[in-house]
Amino acid sequence: MNAFSYARPRALAEALRMLRNGAVALAGGTDLVGLMKDGLARPQSLVDLTGIEGLRGWSHAKGRGLRIGALTPLVELETSDALAKTMPIVRESLRDAATVQLRTMGTVGGNLLQRNRCWYFRDEGTVCWLKGGSRCFAIDGENRYHAIIGANECVIVSPSDLVPALLAYDAEIALTSSRGTRRMKLADLFIAPHGKERREHSLRPGELITEVRVPEAALARRGTYLKAMDRKAWSFALVSVAAAARIERGVARDVRVIMGGLAPVPWRVIAAEKALEGTTLDDASCADAADRLLAGATPLRDNGYKVTLARELVRRALRSLVA
Amino acid sequence: MPRVVKSREEFEGEIFESLVLVEGKDLPLPAAGTEFSEIGRSRRRVDGVQRVTGRARYTQDVYLPGMLYVRVLRSPYPRARVRRIDTKKAEKLPGVRGVLHRFNAPKAAFRGEETIFREEVRFVGDEVAAVAADDEQTAVEALRLIEVDYELLPHVVDLEEAIGDMAPRLDTDGNVAEAATHKRGDAKRALKEADFVVDATYRTSTQVHNSLETHGAVAAWDGEQLTVYESTQHTFGVRQGLRTALKLPFSKIRVLCDYMGGGFGSKGGAGKYSIIASLFSMQLGRPVRCVLTREEENIAAGNRSATLQQFRIGGKAGRITAIEHTSWANVGQGRWVANPTGPTNTLYDIANLSSKSYKVVTNAGSLAAFRAPGYVEGTFALESAVDELAEKMGVDPLTLRRKHAGSPKDPMSGKKYSDKHLLECYRIGAAEIGWQRRRSGGIRGSAPHRRRGIGMATQIWGGGGGPPAYATVHVNPDGTVVLTAGTQDIGTGTRTVLAQICADELGVDLDAMQVRIGDTDHPYGPISAGSVTTASMGPAVRIAARDAKEQLLGAAAGVLETPKAELRLEGGAIVSKGARTPLGEILSKVENNTVIGRGARHPNDPDLSQRTFGAHFAEVEVDVHTGEITVEHIVAVHDIGRIVNPTTARSQVEGGVLQALGFALSEERFLDRATGRVMNANLENYKVPTVKDVPAKITVKFVDRPDRKANNLGIKGLGEPPIIPTAAAIANAVANATGARVRHAPLTRARVLEALAVAGARS
Repeated sequence: MNAFSYARPRALAEALRMLRNGAVALAGGTDLVGLMKDGLARPQSLVDLTGIEGLRGWSHAKGRGLRIGALTPLVELETSDALAKTMPIVRESLRDAATVQLRTMGTVGGNLLQRNRCWYFRDEGTVCWLKGGSRCFAIDGENRYHAIIGANECVIVSPSDLVPALLAYDAEIALTSSRGTRRMKLADLFIAPHGKERREHSLRPGELITEVRVPEAALARRGTYLKAMDRKAWSFALVSVAAAARIERGVARDVRVIMGGLAPVPWRVIAAEKALEGTTLDDASCADAADRLLAGATPLRDNGYKVTLARELVRRALRSLVA
Repeated sequence: MPRVVKSREEFEGEIFESLVLVEGKDLPLPAAGTEFSEIGRSRRRVDGVQRVTGRARYTQDVYLPGMLYVRVLRSPYPRARVRRIDTKKAEKLPGVRGVLHRFNAPKAAFRGEETIFREEVRFVGDEVAAVAADDEQTAVEALRLIEVDYELLPHVVDLEEAIGDMAPRLDTDGNVAEAATHKRGDAKRALKEADFVVDATYRTSTQVHNSLETHGAVAAWDGEQLTVYESTQHTFGVRQGLRTALKLPFSKIRVLCDYMGGGFGSKGGAGKYSIIASLFSMQLGRPVRCVLTREEENIAAGNRSATLQQFRIGGKAGRITAIEHTSWANVGQGRWVANPTGPTNTLYDIANLSSKSYKVVTNAGSLAAFRAPGYVEGTFALESAVDELAEKMGVDPLTLRRKHAGSPKDPMSGKKYSDKHLLECYRIGAAEIGWQRRRSGGIRGSAPHRRRGIGMATQIWGGGGGPPAYATVHVNPDGTVVLTAGTQDIGTGTRTVLAQICADELGVDLDAMQVRIGDTDHPYGPISAGSVTTASMGPAVRIAARDAKEQLLGAAAGVLETPKAELRLEGGAIVSKGARTPLGEILSKVENNTVIGRGARHPNDPDLSQRTFGAHFAEVEVDVHTGEITVEHIVAVHDIGRIVNPTTARSQVEGGVLQALGFALSEERFLDRATGRVMNANLENYKVPTVKDVPAKITVKFVDRPDRKANNLGIKGLGEPPIIPTAAAIANAVANATGARVRHAPLTRARVLEALAVAGARS
């Protein structure tokens, strides 16, 4: 790890000023510190956000949606029974995420901005395309964990468990910098690296995610999160799915299906959701939705199994909404 | 008087003959019906409090005043010639005290090579240079400043590629070498005449030890004496390795290993890190620490070879009539190969058999012995194949095994076993798992998409132990006892078990015992490997305790003025005609004194084959749409002679089952073929089982009958047996549950889903 300066301001404005000057934000550190230890991040200065008031915790103003501060530790969302009643998919997704230690340290904002787990990317000695090299080593290398769909020059997969759950509730985020605040759909935060965009997030330099907002209407959906892992705990998803819908008189409305572990970004196909509108989420509709979700999938040498897994998880998740 | 005798011992499936020094006479087995005060009783670990309070000192806890830290520069290439090394910038970095590499390091022989820094590095992780600095961070930074000029050479890392014609030849004789072969009867003909033949290829992936404590040493040279603290399974082996490398006499080397955090076979002697730490310490006159990181542990500290195994197994009239088994193992840069055909050759009484084992070298990290090396890999293939044959023949797989498992003779050597209760293991295990519930095609699981199945597999292993192994017992004037031996406790409970044996024979309480081990200034103790420690050390300890007891009774006879024959030593007291006098009280009447008992392990009967046997039964549930396997219940039954401590024995079995669970389901090293790099040299993507993966139930049973012909206690080893049959039992249970036969361990989602697809297409 290189030497760096460190500051822990109390005021957001102070932190934003440091970020503008090139400091790197540190919250729980569960990803950043690992990247630094592995020589993949070499910040000259760190600004520790944990001293800032007001970015922690969540609140629900009935009728006006739900707000989650970006510095809220994941464990706080997971263990809150009140939140689990409002957003059950979030608890489900966090229960299988990492370990209790990591969930205790890790924050919501950090989770959204975590970098991918591709083992070529994470290997300091390998200069892959995403790190400015000439090619992706995974495409014709060891690729059992890599993308089967939606990838361009780089076949990383979206690693977060929380993100599909939040997207199932149409989450938005607030991005603040010393120039002001902008809001965007959470989905727009994620970039499938391509061309000149050798990055995974659309965050601009100097920006900080300050909060996540969920519109009230989305909270009417019921939903579930399913995750397939290589062992029963502490594994990133081979494939995961967050599914949500309102069930009205036995038929599905307002359906959301978001998949993790499949593509460089959280994988969502609007046509698949549209096709499920008004169905009873019967097996045929689920299979059709899976077809639409996976249309154009091009598995690599070792990850064809993800297609089978994805189809089954989609079916199972959707069926559970009407069970 | 010490005398030299011939000894013939089994170690990790091989027979070794040697001359050994023994003294005195061996003791007879305790008479049947003997009431033991300690042996056979569950006891908490004598060092348990030290361990759980963090007071126990492991090598990684050793920080000496003025100590320097070493980091090693490792080759980033799988094969290259080191043409030039420029260390000027590194040496100028403040805090750097020394740099060693092939152009400046003194010659230090290591495993048949003259130097520890090779001219041609042969795997990613091979040692290129080492830096000693005031702190670890400085050493790490210095590594980045070393400039190395590599000439890249063609490489191959994959087993099956290395066997092929297109691969670069790494040795002048090629990449493939025959390592073992066995033939009996006429397998070819018997296969032709068989009614049923299974022809199948099995694979096992590379498993990495991942000891909790990584490999490492702290060396301190004081100008006269080199003291090395090392996490090792064999302090005397480290001493031997250092003597060879450094050309120092034994008297100037002392190796210490107080506590150690696992080795599983990979810590059998000095490593390059031990030699590097010692060289620096001798050059710089300061203590030097060289401890591997987790990543180094996973790329350069050994592994269980990946294997490719071809099986042809034939059956006729309800019996197995023939086996042909050919194995290829990727040993990386290792100089030996474990033998996956070992279980095939020896487990079952099968008339026609032909087996061959090949060693394949590649540009990958060397193999190291890994808990039952070869036997874990081989048993996965053998016991899968036996089940496949039984399925084809339409017979119960346990019934088929019973027909070949009862022989009292080793089918390979023709020698009689000293003892064998394998059929009894089958009987106990079948009852515990509820084998009668097993149905061909599996049974219903807890949900419509889940199928349940039961499977089993057998294990054969050595573990008889043997000489040389020595112990001394010092009795203090207050009646307390110090047992001194050159063995080490690698986490198995050696301290506890030896204390029990000593206290029992001597007639003192366990609380009066102190066990001092892990020190080459003690009498020689064997490597803690091959499941030999208890069976090698225990009988020597018993003799030493008996020797001390006889002397104590003599002393007591003098003090009490009573004939020795009328005295007994029991519970720390001399008992004479109902009167009890504490040992301390008697000894205190004599001027300061030390009673010293000595014991040596005597050879085994060379005409007998000493083996351990066991069977594991697995009940699993398989999600047939996602390929997820849940191991619900493992029953482990072992025949290892008399059990000294049921508690430590049980934890040994549980640990073996869990390590096998990783081998069976999730542990697998991935090497990038193009770059030779290990992609998962970490605990994120190298998946050891978590607590959630642990089966809901692990039932451990022992036959627990002394092997009367084994040694003076009737005991055998247990370190390795419980890892051997678990993977095959699980694979057989999965096949029973679903009809899907997975022939590649670990049984990952991809492999299970593929096999399910094949099974689905068939039915």
